[in-house]
Amino acid sequence: MDYIFVNKTLKIPIYKQIAFSIIKAIEKGDLIFNDKLPTEKEICQTFTISPTVVKMAYDFLIVEGKIKRIKGKGTYVTNRAPYKCPLHEFYQVDRILSDETNNFERQVILIDYIDDEFSAYRMLKLNKGEHCFVFTRIIKNNRNPVLLQKIYLPEKYFPKIDGFDLSTHRLFDLLGNKQTHPIDHLHNTFSPINATSAEALLLNIQPDDAIYFVRTQLIGEQNQVLGYITNYFPGEFTEFEVMVHAA
Amino acid sequence: MLPNLLIYVTIDRRSTVVYNEQIKESIKALILDQTFYYKTILPKPNILAQHLNVDLKFTKIAYDQLIQERYIRKVENDNYEVAYFELTNYFFDRNVAIYDAIIALGLTPSIKCVEKKVISLTLDEQNYMGFKPIEDNQYFYINRLYLGNQQPIMILENYLPMHIFPDIDKHFIGDEPLNAYLDHHYNIRANVSHRITQAVNLTATLSKYLNERKNASSICSTNRVYDENQILIDFGRSHTISSYYFQALISKKEITDYYKSR
Repeated sequence: MDYIFVNKTLKIPIYKQIAFSIIKAIEKGDLIFNDKLPTEKEICQTFTISPTVVKMAYDFLIVEGKIKRIKGKGTYVTNRAPYKCPLHEFYQVDRILSDETNNFERQVILIDYIDDEFSAYRMLKLNKGEHCFVFTRIIKNNRNPVLLQKIYLPEKYFPKIDGFDLSTHRLFDLLGNKQTHPIDHLHNTFSPINATSAEALLLNIQPDDAIYFVRTQLIGEQNQVLGYITNYFPGEFTEFEVMVHAA
Repeated sequence: MLPNLLIYVTIDRRSTVVYNEQIKESIKALILDQTFYYKTILPKPNILAQHLNVDLKFTKIAYDQLIQERYIRKVENDNYEVAYFELTNYFFDRNVAIYDAIIALGLTPSIKCVEKKVISLTLDEQNYMGFKPIEDNQYFYINRLYLGNQQPIMILENYLPMHIFPDIDKHFIGDEPLNAYLDHHYNIRANVSHRITQAVNLTATLSKYLNERKNASSICSTNRVYDENQILIDFGRSHTISSYYFQALISKKEITDYYKSR
């Protein structure tokens, strides 16, 4: 707890002093992902301050995404290597990460060949009975899962992809290579969702944690839906960055 | 309720997937592709169960799960309506005010001022927000709720330096669009907004404002707004439970360039 500094002679509110002590400790690396913070009671006793003040400091840090409370366990540092992804290139996240780090991997956990799945088939404008390849993969950065992806590629547009390895290749390798149906643009919808226990397990987060859920339709030149991807970005350390200019 | 909505919801009796899951997925897909638009009244669970010839428990479970996932909500007279909508281009494409994004949804926008006050920030806080730290400072803090047809859409707090906007606390009421006000009264235009968005769980306080459960997932956007001289004029942070649509134009050129570079 020696990273917390409080000076009661200053006019600066004590909750801000505590909060910024912790932020500085995180920035310096004295506190890292998953480190347990002192309980509110421990801080109260050490610094002889009221529980309300400590609660305000922790609430501030929770809003800032620096820490989180896990029910029945305690308060933990959350931001493991947060990375910013330029929003206009979010679909290139694996390229951006692979350029930045040597410790990057794509791990395919499921390859499936289906002939129906209600939501996905509606997005793909496929009829029941038409076949579609489905790849589920996790993208990891320094062993941290940063993205869970489910990639749907209809057989009629991608007839020979069963041998294609999405654990070693970017999706673009597949889309650009020998393709007969070039992609024109992407339709994306970004939604905030809460993690199910299965998603939490794969993304190494807690159930109910916030996830940035992005649904992407790959649209071809004839306006046909060439593919559909569901992306699950763990909220706590994925940031999309964009500059928006005045109209 | 339009009676023909029933024909859209389908199940496959030969499937191994349980009926409630099939009904849920069927309705969810119809909402996501906007066949069932925001505020559409869905068939009541007993009517749908009768139409699909399944036990009432399956439609009830499906509807409960859809409520939990925020696709629908229960309204008066035991009706269920679509709660899901997407804001268009608000965050990314152009600097479209949230006010306009709400109008684009076909809703009547309004702004409710939750709090406004003059505060002073610590040097650490100013640094953190990106302002040039000043020892003796005053900022105008406003926290406002944007509503569409009286339903909360977004909560947005702003910090405005009062050396740039003197006396703003005396004249700015709180229910008027901010950018237009700054332009009109101070002749200062928001030129570019640097936005960082993240998915976060709602705190207890934010969840009350947005009429949601605590910990519900939301999109938090931290905005730093600069004027034409690249001076930071506004630090803002918004939370919304809405989804938003964004079209990315990846061109064939991008893929072609990729292959050229290999």
